[in-house]
Amino acid sequence: MAPKRAREQAPRHVNATKQTLAPDIITKRTKRHLEELERSNYTEPSITLDDDGEGAISGKNRVRQIVSDKRYLNDPNAKKKKSSMKVRTALLYRKNLATLIEESRIAHLPCHVPTYLTAAAPPPHLPPRLLCSVCGYKGAYKCKKCAMPYCDMNCESVHAETRCERRVI
Amino acid sequence: MQPQTTVILDNGASSIKAGLARGPEGDDDDQPKGNSRLVPNAIVRSKGDKTTYFGHQLERCRDYSALHYRLPFEKGYLVDWDAQKAVWDGVFSSEVLNVDTAESSLLITEPYFNLPNIQDVYDQFVFEEYEFHSYHRCTPAATIPFGRLFQTGGPSPPECLVVIDSGFSFTHVVPIINNQIQWYAVKRLDVGGKLLTNQLKELVSYRQWNMMDETYIMNHAKETCCYVSTRFFEDLETCRSNPKKNSIVREYVLPNFSINSHGRVRLPNEELSATDQVLHMENERFTIPELLFRPDDIGLEQSGLAATVAASISLLPHDLRGMFWANIGLIGGSTNFPGFYERLSSELLSLTPVEYDLQIYRSEDAMTEAYRSAFAFANDPAFPTHVVTREEYLEVGSNASRRKFPGWQSSSAPGDAEISKITQESMTEDRGQPSRKPSRPRVRTITAPGRRR
Ligand SMILES: [Zn+2]
Ligand SMILES: [Zn+2]
Repeated sequence: MAPKRAREQAPRHVNATKQTLAPDIITKRTKRHLEELERSNYTEPSITLDDDGEGAISGKNRVRQIVSDKRYLNDPNAKKKKSSMKVRTALLYRKNLATLIEESRIAHLPCHVPTYLTAAAPPPHLPPRLLCSVCGYKGAYKCKKCAMPYCDMNCESVHAETRCERRVI
Repeated sequence: MQPQTTVILDNGASSIKAGLARGPEGDDDDQPKGNSRLVPNAIVRSKGDKTTYFGHQLERCRDYSALHYRLPFEKGYLVDWDAQKAVWDGVFSSEVLNVDTAESSLLITEPYFNLPNIQDVYDQFVFEEYEFHSYHRCTPAATIPFGRLFQTGGPSPPECLVVIDSGFSFTHVVPIINNQIQWYAVKRLDVGGKLLTNQLKELVSYRQWNMMDETYIMNHAKETCCYVSTRFFEDLETCRSNPKKNSIVREYVLPNFSINSHGRVRLPNEELSATDQVLHMENERFTIPELLFRPDDIGLEQSGLAATVAASISLLPHDLRGMFWANIGLIGGSTNFPGFYERLSSELLSLTPVEYDLQIYRSEDAMTEAYRSAFAFANDPAFPTHVVTREEYLEVGSNASRRKFPGWQSSSAPGDAEISKITQESMTEDRGQPSRKPSRPRVRTITAPGRRR
């Protein structure tokens, strides 16, 4: 494998805006970062059983194939049987967690019933600490454009060249 | 009649711990008691091998670069049943457990606060697809009272205990009274192994090499290099004062698949070949696991683990809290970081009310602790009374398991009759009684005599 120097790849941003960011934009940026940290893959093609080269990676809009049906485990005891309606439905129609939460109606349960939605840890009681978004050291300053913390002039310039505003939408 | 064989699946979002229990007197000829197979719960595509591996087959993988994962779980919940079935088919086949599901019982773990509509699908697969004779479904923490994590102090587990389960998707604090989970006090921190590995990938990719597609390698780097710091700012200073040459920095030598070498930490004075590529693990070593204790470092608006434990215990009946502080147990792979126990102890100690003792129980193998406890549960003579049978399911459908399995839906609130009964009993019993005076030392380390894989 051939890892590449990441910093050299990063696009430079020159279109500077003058004003500091509104708090809701920072909140949005944080939310998006936390969502990225949930990903199973950085790039997200779907897996099929088609093993010859690039054809294995198919696009999102292809008709869904069931991978579990196509398996041959060479088990002489494995009997080929037809799955029940409910099982076939579960295999064919995948729902994401947000949809399942919606359909479970746990949001509509009486408020004394604890659920996934009520079990989150309480908000932090300590004030947040600033850590340099470039090197991880204590970040005493915040970027005037995007409010990300940095520790010194060196990290400030790395930040400005590489990452400034990249997470802002 | 209840079958002799019980299939045990600790069905985690990252790995399945699988094995067979043969009943109280059963022979485990091929498997020593309580040993489990660790099966990746994923379908993995290796570009280098031009092969897709299902679950247990991943051990055949040669080229771990840029592996592509399809996981049955999303944010800790089972959503992709096609992928899950593909992995389970392999687990039950002759390549792993070699078991006839129709002639077996099943004990399977599910996530905390599993959704009722997802639970129904568990029932459908267990009875309609695999035709198990009977099954019990519960959370990993619910098996812990049957295991040995808390049993170093006596023959039976304490009546009141707290399980901290830090896994792949998240970390839960789970208080239990007399084997019953106290759902109203269960708290979830949205930090687990997956988030930590992804954060490490991102930091390393920004600072050194682009590793965004190298989940497998970075997970290994995390497991071999990361630790929880007990002096965060001091360690930050150490890393800054003399970059690349200080007591903290480690050189992680990236794997080279052309010569079949695995990733490893460079030994002191080890010579490297010209083709070896090195990743410098500096403050990444401790700023990553730090997120379990300071989730707000990445903007996650949640308390750290210690404060979450305190918040959970504060929701429990007042006169039982001392017992909870004195019986906290750690399970799950993310509790394995060096320094995790020390950091948690010191933070918890500062939050423990002065009249109580703090005691934290550690497993020798935190990742398989729930599996081994489930194994003990399945061999318990009372286990058959906890199962739903296929016959019952065919009669009344998922209502059978809704009635039988104690879940958060049927949970009671504090002040309930059952709890006040326990409260009274605990007053007259010695075991686990909260001590009124602080004794010294207030923290005791206890490591359960668990078995290693
Ligand atoms: Zn810096
Ligand atoms: Zn900026």
